[in-house]
Amino acid sequence: MSDGNVFLIIIALLPFAGALMPGLMIRAGRTACASFTAIPTALALTMLIVLAPDVMRGEVIQYELQWLPQLGLSASFFLDGLGLLFAGMILGVGLLITLYARFYLSGEDPMGQFYTYLLLFQGAMLGIVLSDNILLLLIFWELTSLSSFLLIGYWKHLPEGRQGARMALAVTGAGGLAMIGGMLILGNIVGSYNLTDILAAGDQIKAHDWYMPALILILLGAFTKSAQFPFHFWLPHAMAAPTPVSAYLHSATMVKAGVFLMARMWPALAGTEAWFYIVASVGLITMVVGAVIALFKDDLKALLAFSTVSHLGLLTMLLGFGTDKAAIAAVFHIINHLTFKAALFMTAGIVDHETHTRDIKRLGGLSALMPITAVIGTIAALSMAGIPLFNGFISKEKMLEEAAHTVWWDNPWIIGALATLGALFSVAYSLRFIFHVFGGPVRDDYPAKPHDPPFGMWAAPALLCIPVVLIGVMPHLAEPLVNVAAGAVTGVEQNAKLKLWHGLTPALYMSIIAVIGGAILLWLHKPLDRAWIAAPRPEAKTIFDALIAAVVSLTRRMTDLLFTGEISRYLAIFVAASVALGAVAWSGGGLAAPDRAPLPVDPVVWVGWVLLVAATGAVVLMHRHRFRALVLIGIIGLMISSGFVFLSAPDLALTQISVETVTILLLLIALHFLPKETPIESGVGRRLRDGVIALVAGGGVAAVAYAFLQRNVETISDYHLANSYEGGGGTNVVNVILVDFRGYDTYGEIIVLGIAGLIIFAVMEALLNGPAGRRLRNMELSQDRSRDRHPLMMVVATRVMMPIALMVGIYIFLRGHNQPGGGFVSGLVVSIALLMQYMASGFAWTQNRQRIEYHTLIGWGVIIAGLTGAGAWLAGKPFLTSAFGYVHWPPIEEFELATAMLFDLGVFLAVLGAVMLMLYSLSRLARHAGETVNVEPMDYDPVERQDKREGEA
Amino acid sequence: MISADLNTILPEIILAVYSMAALLLAVYTTKDKMAGLLTWVTAALFLALALWIGFAGQGTTTAFGGMIVDDAYARFAKVVILASAAAVLIMSESYMARRDLLRFEYPLLIALAVVGMMVMVAAGDLMALYMGLELQSLALYVVASLRRDSAKSTEAGLKYFVLGALSSGLLLYGASLTYGYAGTTLFSGIIEATSDGVSLGLLFGLVFLMAGFAFKVSAAPFHMWTPDVYEGAPTPVTAFFATAPKMAAMGLFARVVHDAFGGSVGDWQQIVAFLSVASMFIGGIAAIGQTDIKRLMAYSSIAHMGFALMGLAAGTAFGVQAMLIYMAIYIAMNVGTFAFIISMEKDGRPVTDIASLNMYSKAEPGKALAMLVLLFSLAGVPPMLGFFGKFYVLRAAVEGGLIWLAIAGVVASVIGAFYYLRIVYYMYFGKDQDEALDRNGSPVLWTFLMGSAVVMLVGVVNLFGVEPIAEAAALALAN
Repeated sequence: MSDGNVFLIIIALLPFAGALMPGLMIRAGRTACASFTAIPTALALTMLIVLAPDVMRGEVIQYELQWLPQLGLSASFFLDGLGLLFAGMILGVGLLITLYARFYLSGEDPMGQFYTYLLLFQGAMLGIVLSDNILLLLIFWELTSLSSFLLIGYWKHLPEGRQGARMALAVTGAGGLAMIGGMLILGNIVGSYNLTDILAAGDQIKAHDWYMPALILILLGAFTKSAQFPFHFWLPHAMAAPTPVSAYLHSATMVKAGVFLMARMWPALAGTEAWFYIVASVGLITMVVGAVIALFKDDLKALLAFSTVSHLGLLTMLLGFGTDKAAIAAVFHIINHLTFKAALFMTAGIVDHETHTRDIKRLGGLSALMPITAVIGTIAALSMAGIPLFNGFISKEKMLEEAAHTVWWDNPWIIGALATLGALFSVAYSLRFIFHVFGGPVRDDYPAKPHDPPFGMWAAPALLCIPVVLIGVMPHLAEPLVNVAAGAVTGVEQNAKLKLWHGLTPALYMSIIAVIGGAILLWLHKPLDRAWIAAPRPEAKTIFDALIAAVVSLTRRMTDLLFTGEISRYLAIFVAASVALGAVAWSGGGLAAPDRAPLPVDPVVWVGWVLLVAATGAVVLMHRHRFRALVLIGIIGLMISSGFVFLSAPDLALTQISVETVTILLLLIALHFLPKETPIESGVGRRLRDGVIALVAGGGVAAVAYAFLQRNVETISDYHLANSYEGGGGTNVVNVILVDFRGYDTYGEIIVLGIAGLIIFAVMEALLNGPAGRRLRNMELSQDRSRDRHPLMMVVATRVMMPIALMVGIYIFLRGHNQPGGGFVSGLVVSIALLMQYMASGFAWTQNRQRIEYHTLIGWGVIIAGLTGAGAWLAGKPFLTSAFGYVHWPPIEEFELATAMLFDLGVFLAVLGAVMLMLYSLSRLARHAGETVNVEPMDYDPVERQDKREGEA
Repeated sequence: MISADLNTILPEIILAVYSMAALLLAVYTTKDKMAGLLTWVTAALFLALALWIGFAGQGTTTAFGGMIVDDAYARFAKVVILASAAAVLIMSESYMARRDLLRFEYPLLIALAVVGMMVMVAAGDLMALYMGLELQSLALYVVASLRRDSAKSTEAGLKYFVLGALSSGLLLYGASLTYGYAGTTLFSGIIEATSDGVSLGLLFGLVFLMAGFAFKVSAAPFHMWTPDVYEGAPTPVTAFFATAPKMAAMGLFARVVHDAFGGSVGDWQQIVAFLSVASMFIGGIAAIGQTDIKRLMAYSSIAHMGFALMGLAAGTAFGVQAMLIYMAIYIAMNVGTFAFIISMEKDGRPVTDIASLNMYSKAEPGKALAMLVLLFSLAGVPPMLGFFGKFYVLRAAVEGGLIWLAIAGVVASVIGAFYYLRIVYYMYFGKDQDEALDRNGSPVLWTFLMGSAVVMLVGVVNLFGVEPIAEAAALALAN
């Protein structure tokens, strides 16, 4: 690596570093600002010139810097012929534009900002042409979109400027993003993201299955950037930008980035049928369409913009041909187009600047008033028309020659004919530029008095006209550069000769046809123009806008449909998606044959099953009648409990029954405050849909469960069965699990239960002080109050049952460790006993006889359980390890005492407390709703009555 | 033994004890007057823990018989979670205080949610996973409906709760099926059970677990809650939803599919890929028509989760690394973006209408430029940091053999670019309007906005060294 290679990275980064300067220098004046913009550009250009001789000898200068190696991203740059050509163009024109803009922009425009953006853009462009890593290239690629966005939108006060900036960004930005995908595939095929490696692996890429997607994605990026049909529409609208920007971005550099990319990727992608038909056809269409539209544009810059589109199409077509000669023609035309088009844009800018209009119909006769400008403009326009002795002629000849020889879909003449047509229109609009702006009589209605601008302004276009004429007369001057650049494109050394005279070739005849036809067309311009205006034609911008509007309204409609805010819809989607996932799993997994025989089914079991199903179905049908639904739910609970009994799980059955009872009781009380019926809120269709979803989901779950039941699976039961007595000292495995093996869980659960009780209490407290409380006070009961709400029979019965129930509770509690039962169930049983007292005698009466607060009960429960667990620490065991021993107190038989029992006591208290606290909360509701407080145990008290009677007597 | 276990989860214990102690303290003393102080203290604690975990953590340790795993992966996720939660807390302080929403429970609920998230990403067992998940979710349900007097906020909270409960149920169903067929809840045991192929039962378990995770990461088609919750919740809470929980859920997702089902990538790859595609497109397409920036960010987050899932779908260590990097970048972007959204006010009242940003660049060029950088980054436009995140996941997908997914991702990112650029367009080239946003200069928000924008640009240099850390994290998970 020679020292020169370091220059490469400096060249690439100088504009970025320099971008800081103009912003800082703006206070020092406009000239200083422009100078400081020119300095980094000039420096970079000098370094490039230093490197140029090596490149011209065919060397490739490389510089690599590791960046994010794992991602495949390295800051590596290389300079070959193609890079040299483009870098030279970017920097050279950049200098001229800097000079031009200094005079073009008015004092009110924030110039520092402009130059900063310009340098940023310049750096990004340089980055594209110098990158040796396609990721790096991508980064610079999008950076040009970004900085051009800022440049196009520079004149924010112009509404077209905004629209143009947005469209340009939307189209090119999207194309760039698509390109990411293409580059990714390319890198994956080759196994490297280095451009040099990719270019060397052309055959491998073209043979790969993913060649087509990669090609299409990359071409999307290139076509959008280079404004190829059907993405050509953004370029003319970007012309609202200040003219220096148009000249720089939209003729010389940015729009060429797409062409550059196609040229760069030529060895890797070109040469296939797909490449030819896509690239060449798109290029051809663009060339003709652009040229035709350009002729009828009255805005000077729009005319030039469409002509640029047309010429870009020409370049694309040439690259699409995929032959070496076409590549040479393309490279040569890139140089020529740059020179004349940049000069033309600057000329247009001068005309606009001096006359304050760009409308061709309001111009004419300027050659007398602005002679210098007229000369420059004429030279450049003649070159664009392809008139001999100007450089545009030679490259157009070469293009026509290639077009004449190319066969498209077995058709030998169509490309040639269309290319000639394009050239014909090109001549016409070029001549129009000359004659309708500079030719004709002097008018007296210019918006401003035109005269030639100061030297600084016309210097830049004038300089550009020198190569126009020089190459036009002595084309061999451009030979070395064209050959080395074309060599870099094709990967093969090129030795083309560029001559002014080729003899009487078909290209010459085509050229003559084009010039004569163009002249005739211009002569007929007026009637044609009228016809053009009258004719209906698709306006790309309106189509784009309509397309965007349509997309937006479509998505909005879709979104509205999907996101209605209704939770029922969300739930439906959620459940349906889960079912679909289940179906995916079902289809994806192998299922072993069932290896467990079904149990024989007794008639009783059948009856139970039918009851269960019937009750469940009935709930669905009758769920709007809440009371009936509750009754049905009770039946379901009972059937499930019986199921547990049948399956030899008495513990579960016992728990289930008690839980069912308590829940139903509490729900009964709660129902009191709710409407009797649920209103119908959804239509039949909705319910039908939901029904189907529910059935499918439920059926799926049932199927999974059934499949599960049919197969023998290793379960944890054996372990518990084996260890319950030895480890926990109990023969009731369920209880031992609860209080010993999984004591932690139970401990957690009672805390949760306690918290639930407390929260219900707390929420009720908050509710009763709020609007809900007010509603309750005004609530009208739907039925009359019973005259005998605390009936004698019930009061007496519950009184009698109370001690029995308590006894049962204690019994269940004590036997729990070895037989079905335990703290949880006994807590529920005792709760039921108390609940019945409340129901029989009313809340207040019972509450008065209640000594311990429920909050305290819960607290003690948790504390006792916790202390029991912690007690294990004293014995040096982990938390909640249980110990047990056997005690013999005569006359009672020997019985077992386990610490787990103490723990169970905690469970018992917590459960009792929680249930009662819930009841208490509900009763507070009742009181707010106007429930009277009774002081007597029953409404009709025989004893009292008797006392009264005796008193009367 | 137990002390070693406890040592492993010491950061979680500290945070949990802190929140409970602070809760008690505040209840018995000055209540809401303490909220500001608590917010700052909580944020400081988050940061301290993040530093501690980030610098002190070494190697892989398991605790409680494998229920908790402390490895490079968990640490990476925890640091991101803690840091983003701290950022959001700091950003929210003044906003909540001015709208009388700064209750002392707020920072503590966030702290509890963070504890849950830390457990989630460190879980080595379905039980621990569920515990963490529920702790997080319960705290989030409450936070979502923090603005109790607003019907929108409470409705959002309720919807979130109902759907969240359903998803939890689904997840539990999956977990119990997994347990039933694998005979264990430990991930290490599950992966052993799947060593000779995944049985149908386990497959069912897997898909329902994944449905639950998809809900938590708000991946389509389990994403429906996101826009409503984002819109309804107070903006700082939305910011929180968009950051830390996403990392936690994503971390959990990756943990389960790799640690427990890593031996059978083929069984979940297609589903994750589907979730990814669906999220990218639904998020992208639905965002186009939005006029409310918070709703837009909701859809944007759905789309972003799609991209993150793309990394996961690759099923490789590189894919996990890509996902982690993507999430880290995503969160950094979102912190900045939400700092801006929180600062959007008109006459002292918060606005979230995108149209109010018309010509914002004229009023506040600096902030507009920062937003421009952030939005471009969100769109994944090079050279902003967002592009690198996207590129990582795209590359992971391509290398994992999912080229179609990568192409779909590219197309989706084009769609996404459209709506982000629309905001830029409004800010720079919109219509002039009389009622501009207030020019309030909350220095905290300004700092976050600018800091985040600068990160998007400067991070390009070496991604702040996240790459090797994420690689180590990914290797800890997928080997």
